[in-house]
Amino acid sequence: MTQRVPQAREVLTRLRAAVTRRVDGTKQRARDYRSRTEDGAIAMHGLVIASVLLTFLLFLTGSRWTVLPVLSFLGTMGVGWARYQAEAAKALTFLTTVATVSILTLIVAFLLLESIPAVRAMGVDLFMRVRNPAMEPPTLGQGLWGRGGVWSLTPMMLGTAITTLIATLIAAPVGVAGAVFVSEIAPGRVREVVKPGIELMAGIPSITYGFIGLTIVNQYFYAEFGTPTIGTYFAAGLMIGIMALPTVVTVAEDALNAVPEEIKSGALAMGSTNWQTTKSVTIPAGLSGVSAGVLLGVGRAMGETMAATVMLTHTKGFPSPVFDVFSRYGETLTTVIAFEGGNASGVHMSALFAAGVVLFVMVMLLSVASQYVEWRMHRKLGGER
Amino acid sequence: MAPDPEAGRVSRRKFIAVTGVAGVAGVAGCSGGSGTDTEAGGSSGSGSGSSNGLDTTVLTGDGSSTVFPITNTASSYWNSNPEAGDEDYWPQEWADEYGTDMRLADYFASDYGYEATEQRSVPPFRVSIALSHSGTGIEGVMEGRVDIGDASSSAASELGEDAEGLDDFVDHVVGVDGQPIVVSPEIADAGLESITIDELRGIYKGEITNWNEVGGPDREILALGRAEGSGTDTAFRNNVYGDPEEPISPDQRFGQNQQLQQAVGQADNAIAYIALAFVDPEGGTVPIGLEIDGTLYEYGKNLGAQDYPLSRDLHAYTYEDTSRKEAAFINFCLSDFGQEIFVAGNNYFKLPSDRLETQREKVAASNYE
Repeated sequence: MTQRVPQAREVLTRLRAAVTRRVDGTKQRARDYRSRTEDGAIAMHGLVIASVLLTFLLFLTGSRWTVLPVLSFLGTMGVGWARYQAEAAKALTFLTTVATVSILTLIVAFLLLESIPAVRAMGVDLFMRVRNPAMEPPTLGQGLWGRGGVWSLTPMMLGTAITTLIATLIAAPVGVAGAVFVSEIAPGRVREVVKPGIELMAGIPSITYGFIGLTIVNQYFYAEFGTPTIGTYFAAGLMIGIMALPTVVTVAEDALNAVPEEIKSGALAMGSTNWQTTKSVTIPAGLSGVSAGVLLGVGRAMGETMAATVMLTHTKGFPSPVFDVFSRYGETLTTVIAFEGGNASGVHMSALFAAGVVLFVMVMLLSVASQYVEWRMHRKLGGER
Repeated sequence: MAPDPEAGRVSRRKFIAVTGVAGVAGVAGCSGGSGTDTEAGGSSGSGSGSSNGLDTTVLTGDGSSTVFPITNTASSYWNSNPEAGDEDYWPQEWADEYGTDMRLADYFASDYGYEATEQRSVPPFRVSIALSHSGTGIEGVMEGRVDIGDASSSAASELGEDAEGLDDFVDHVVGVDGQPIVVSPEIADAGLESITIDELRGIYKGEITNWNEVGGPDREILALGRAEGSGTDTAFRNNVYGDPEEPISPDQRFGQNQQLQQAVGQADNAIAYIALAFVDPEGGTVPIGLEIDGTLYEYGKNLGAQDYPLSRDLHAYTYEDTSRKEAAFINFCLSDFGQEIFVAGNNYFKLPSDRLETQREKVAASNYE
């Protein structure tokens, strides 16, 4: 105890110093702004920000006077643009940035708010419950969606996991192999054609993939292999994997390409062959970038909606065994929102929002993870920043 | 290079200008024409109105897109007021059946005391039907915005069982929307003609999984359903199992009738319930009979009966009694002619004769004498 008190005191002092420094910095910046900006421009900034804030507030309250601050904003901006163009541009770009960030914040807040009723009704069971006690007998995975007030996302979470896993198993090896070929092995002319081609593939709308999946892949599996339903996790995962492929190839290829030429030349100078260089130098050096590409691809696969919605069967439950990817079950977090959003109400609607939150969190984690590995790669190799 | 885009721009501008002028001219022509039309209708209408004091303002309706085809087709026929013997819209056979040579709307309105206008496109009063949702129609008629509220579900289910003013609704059922049970052609070809309601329950519960258990070939059953939470799905559970929350486990669910129709046709072992317009006895969706308590309900025969579990009534609600004007139009929809042309013609079931009698009595002309 006695040792902790001075320690705490020290932390406190350090904290106070940090705060003082921060305050001083802000004061200095404010002084700089004041002395370097013309009075008219300052007035313009103040007016613009005030009218935007007022517009937002009046809009939220549904007032019919919303048009006044909008006009005041346009007027101020117009005059400002004519007189202090640089300062006006500063304000405008600042506002658009604030708008972007606040839109994201508002969307997240809305998602969370809307999913509160479901969380309140179900608690942690929303993500955990696998049997419905209201059922006679409570069967594993049955009646988890809307029976006796139970709304459980577990079948959909499993569905998302299964389709994402299948898609990753297809997109990751094929994509990385493609990236290695394009970046390291293919002659320059092939690369010039293939790289833009693959990037173009990423631009194909997902419904196009879904339609091909619906009319060809689903039918093929049903007719040739006698799947119990027209559409299975495997068929959908396959299609999603193909969709995620271009993302993986493009990002992984960029990563391999970013490995400094000196490293490769060094390896070659030591007498290793091209393949030995690729295998032992380039790929390990670019590995974090390659995994970032794979993670981005996984993120795309997880969030994929359209193709999965038209291909899956929309029946909820756990396949038995769990890796039975040809079972009659088929519903993911995205497809349940797309399929039932139109006619949901009450807790049902809220549960769909909760599905959205789960999805958002999962995709965000993946995105953060991929950013992190990319950052690590740049730090490790120095990169061409 | 430079003159080319220039030329293109000029020609595009010219094109827009020309089409714009043409469009404006067209609109002007249209509105001018309709303007004179309504004027004529209004003047003659008010003339007859003043003679016997009947309300000849426009009868308005709004509501469900499912009921819309019925009331809207009826309103189109009504407004055009074709002469008897117009083979497309008021054929001689039908006029003979009613023993009249009057114009269509003139004839049906005359029972309610309206004077015949004897003019094409000038009915005794005009009818205008708008398109929205069941709930909108029901609220509209309750708040007096429209005269008739089209709804594919009952006012009680739209507003809640204990909503205020529910007792003031007058329910007029103008037709029945029913969903036959259909199977893949391979199953029908193998000789399956009907199943019982218990077998249907078993199939959608996942208890019956092979067609040979219900008299079909030895093949797995692929049970197809509609999206969870949709009106069709809830109605199916409610009507077949008696509980809208009954857990059922179809193998596959679809959002739309079109997708369902395609899947049934492509599969060789599917069963589904589907809207009447998508049934094709010769093609991919072959209807089969459904037996309930010894009664066999068959496509093309008696699916419009109230006891058939996969059917719903199509309502044209009025609020606080039915006015003479409303009664005249609803009776028009309930007439044999109306049922045949507007209800059966739009792929819905005509009301069976006993229900038709009950509905007609509610709007009978004798109530307004």
